[in-house]
Amino acid sequence: MQLMQQKENTRNMTTSPVPTDGTESAEHLAGLLSKIAATQCRAAFSELFKYFAPRLLAYGTRQFGNEQIASDLVQETMTNVWHKAHLFKADKGSPATWIFTIARNIRFDFLRKNKHRQNDLSADDLWPILAETNEGLDDDYALDQNILLQQIASYYQQLPDNQRVVIEQIYLEGKSQQEVSDGLGIPLGTVKSRTRLALQKLREMIETHD
Amino acid sequence: MIKFHPSDEMIHQFAAGSLNPALSVVISTHVDMCPHCQKQVLDAEQLMAEQLTKAPKPRLNSHALDAMLEQIMTSQAPAPKASNDDYSNVLNLDGKLFNLPPTLARQQNRIGHWSRVPGKMLRAPIDIGSDECINLIYMDKGSRVPEHTHKGQEVTLVVNGVFNDERDEYTDGDFILMDSSQHHTPETQDEDCLTLAALDAPLHFTSGISRLLNPFSSLFFR
Ligand SMILES: [Zn+2]
Repeated sequence: MQLMQQKENTRNMTTSPVPTDGTESAEHLAGLLSKIAATQCRAAFSELFKYFAPRLLAYGTRQFGNEQIASDLVQETMTNVWHKAHLFKADKGSPATWIFTIARNIRFDFLRKNKHRQNDLSADDLWPILAETNEGLDDDYALDQNILLQQIASYYQQLPDNQRVVIEQIYLEGKSQQEVSDGLGIPLGTVKSRTRLALQKLREMIETHD
Repeated sequence: MIKFHPSDEMIHQFAAGSLNPALSVVISTHVDMCPHCQKQVLDAEQLMAEQLTKAPKPRLNSHALDAMLEQIMTSQAPAPKASNDDYSNVLNLDGKLFNLPPTLARQQNRIGHWSRVPGKMLRAPIDIGSDECINLIYMDKGSRVPEHTHKGQEVTLVVNGVFNDERDEYTDGDFILMDSSQHHTPETQDEDCLTLAALDAPLHFTSGISRLLNPFSSLFFR
């Protein structure tokens, strides 16, 4: 129902092209995003929307050759910007890059995902830019990719019990940190810190034995 | 140290979201492992974002625009995305443990059944719901794939370990693209090797007795 209504609202959005006007600075746009994140500021979002919506519509129209799909892309992209502005990290790239990657992900799913097959690969699997916790796996991977996992098994007996249990479940039983947290009834943060401490200790043991 | 990377063109297409899903998974896994290509992807995204902001923009129907704006600001928040804490980054293969790069860790629930393939190897398909074929392949020490060519393209990424062919030796993070004109014979020596492979047609064996395998080549990587 909503889609129908949306189609009515957004039909014939494009009338005629006008030349490019000035582009906004990254600092200014980042300022708008932080206002939206902090206070759901409508004025800041309106300004951001008026800047990006026409540009995204042009991008979508080039990609899809269809103005209706393009306007769905604009709406979905900007809806994510409105609700997820807190996930923008200025140190990882410019606001325009962040918004482009959101639109790129939505486009990927529009083109690829079959709505009847829930298990299809989605853009979030490749570029999890809108995941609430974005550090976890990447940090863990960076932290322990140099540790030979097979070696862990011979050292982990020497860990304190509470760390050993966590390491056992993650590395021998293949559970996720969330599953370990649920299973043991301890906070996720505790699982993470015990994992980190244990890996640190294991790395020391491996280094001194090598 | 990673020696073999996807081409600049491929990285650009990946960042644009224009590659097919199977190839995107392989490239994304390489990018997880490769700081050089992480930078390439960021640069490509930034370039495309600049093109987006600088392109001539259409004049919009302001009524439709205001309506969309209002709709967005009164919309429900989208459901939160799965977080990385929901995935395990360890693959346990008959007691051998492998640390998976983030992209593959997010695919854990799509990894299918491991089956034996000729040449001391194990293979498990990853079902990403597309037509292309993507597999994890485990080569034990001293494995050998009979010499073959590909009807289409084969991309291989070393997740962990070492293998070699007639040309070179490949280790963690190396990305290898083979087309239909290239013959090769992948093998392992004293170390085992976990690779990720995407293939768009079955293998075609080319030498001696292994030609007899051709009718069964779909057993290998499909
Ligand atoms: Zn690379």
